[in-house]
Amino acid sequence: MSQIYPIGGGKGGVGKSFITASLGALLAKWGKKVLLIDLDLGGSNLHTLLGINDQQGGINRFLDKTVKNLENTAVSTVIQNLFFISSSLCSMETANLLHAHKLKIISAIQKLSFDYILLDLGTGTNFNTLDFFLTSNQGIFICTPEPTAIENSFRFIKAVYLRKLKHIVKRHSFNSAVKKAIIRPNHEAVTSPDIIDIVLKHDPDREIFLRNSLSEFKFKFILNQFRKNLDATIGDKIEDLCNRHFYSNFQFLGNVGYDVRIHDSVLSKKIFIHKYPYAPPAMDMKKIAEKIINNRPSVSLTGEIS
Amino acid sequence: MKNFEGLNYYEILKIPANSSSFEIKRAYRDALSIYNENSLVTYCLFSNEGRDNILKTLKEAFLTLTDENKRAEYDSVLRDSGQIEVPITSIQNQKKPPHAHTYNMTDHDNSAEKVKKKSRKKEIEKLSNEVLSKDLISGDDLKKMRNAAGIELSEITAVAKISVSVLKSMEENRIESLPPELYLKNFLRHYAETLQIDPQKIIDGYLKNISLAQNK
Repeated sequence: MSQIYPIGGGKGGVGKSFITASLGALLAKWGKKVLLIDLDLGGSNLHTLLGINDQQGGINRFLDKTVKNLENTAVSTVIQNLFFISSSLCSMETANLLHAHKLKIISAIQKLSFDYILLDLGTGTNFNTLDFFLTSNQGIFICTPEPTAIENSFRFIKAVYLRKLKHIVKRHSFNSAVKKAIIRPNHEAVTSPDIIDIVLKHDPDREIFLRNSLSEFKFKFILNQFRKNLDATIGDKIEDLCNRHFYSNFQFLGNVGYDVRIHDSVLSKKIFIHKYPYAPPAMDMKKIAEKIINNRPSVSLTGEIS
Repeated sequence: MKNFEGLNYYEILKIPANSSSFEIKRAYRDALSIYNENSLVTYCLFSNEGRDNILKTLKEAFLTLTDENKRAEYDSVLRDSGQIEVPITSIQNQKKPPHAHTYNMTDHDNSAEKVKKKSRKKEIEKLSNEVLSKDLISGDDLKKMRNAAGIELSEITAVAKISVSVLKSMEENRIESLPPELYLKNFLRHYAETLQIDPQKIIDGYLKNISLAQNK
């Protein structure tokens, strides 16, 4: 079964697509069969980072049923073993994907057979992004060491968390008071600690189950655009903090250094690690790819979808 | 979101149960740097109320563990509930260093005091005033002051954590074997502090002296 890594993170411009392309290329160079899927519907540009001039489309052909099997929309790239499914030719309205279409894409992805599947997600915390992030029981979020990005990352984690909680509560037998409070919150914003509290109050027997379900989810994160003068331990601090205060599991994968040449490689539409294989950010990402390969696959790889 | 539920004070501060008071203080300081409201990693993670609760718990942990009596009482509760495995019979045992790299802070404090006391004698004051009034300070001057105070090189090593060979190079003006300037400044500062003399004057005078010697 494939290892699926959705790659998200609340803020725009932190390098989600760039990291997706680079990690994909590195994993493929290690001889792994890798698929990249651009799920930033309405804001696709992973194809450009891969140097692909997308003429035939990808996900759009799967959704309009021209192609029955999602796998057949994958195209090869300049790198051996690295395949790509684009979404750049999706209708201008796909950013607001139909619920049925979303489920169709998610379940098709879960059936694909690759060593690694990386999903490049869009900015923000809309339901599509969150549900794509929950395609797997592990995901990577990209952040930069700046207050704005860290703020959005925490918001993203909390949103993923809440979405996951809702899925769990919807799918399993919980006390009706709990279901009502969580699925149809009246007016107040429901936050994840509230949910745990609600469950504790109305359905104490299910609390352990809920905690266990949440602890199955593994967040991994990368600090991108890391400049030399910063506190190098900040990633470890965030990892420790999140493990202490959230119920899920967090792993810091590493810093990726800031380099002006990344901008050059985007301008020239070349894969960065191909063009500058020994630049510091490329070395940083090599270490991260090694960490991902050395990660033992977890027992269950399918996330919960409603 | 979890807030330290089910964790004892040692776990909250992320230290072993036999930590010294120095380690407790350091752990508290580290925790404050992470949980204060301006911290890059947490300023947006908690509500004000949540942060206040966390800071309150940290303070409680710190105040309990740094008060000998309160700590003993707290430890006995933990021991009774089986949270601490090793019986702690006396405060002395608690203060053992957890591993080889950390040295025993209380002993260090005592020896530092002893060494510093030596340098408070009157006769040294006169000599050090003489040295400090000079524009250039050589290694010989350092050595003279140290000898007058009756302090051994090994004592400086024990207090300031500078190796004897580096100290010797400093006193013998062996420029080629001196550490890079950044470290040298620090070493000179520690040296001066151990002898209880103005570090800045020693650093300036010493660096000036070696730069002159180098340019000869």
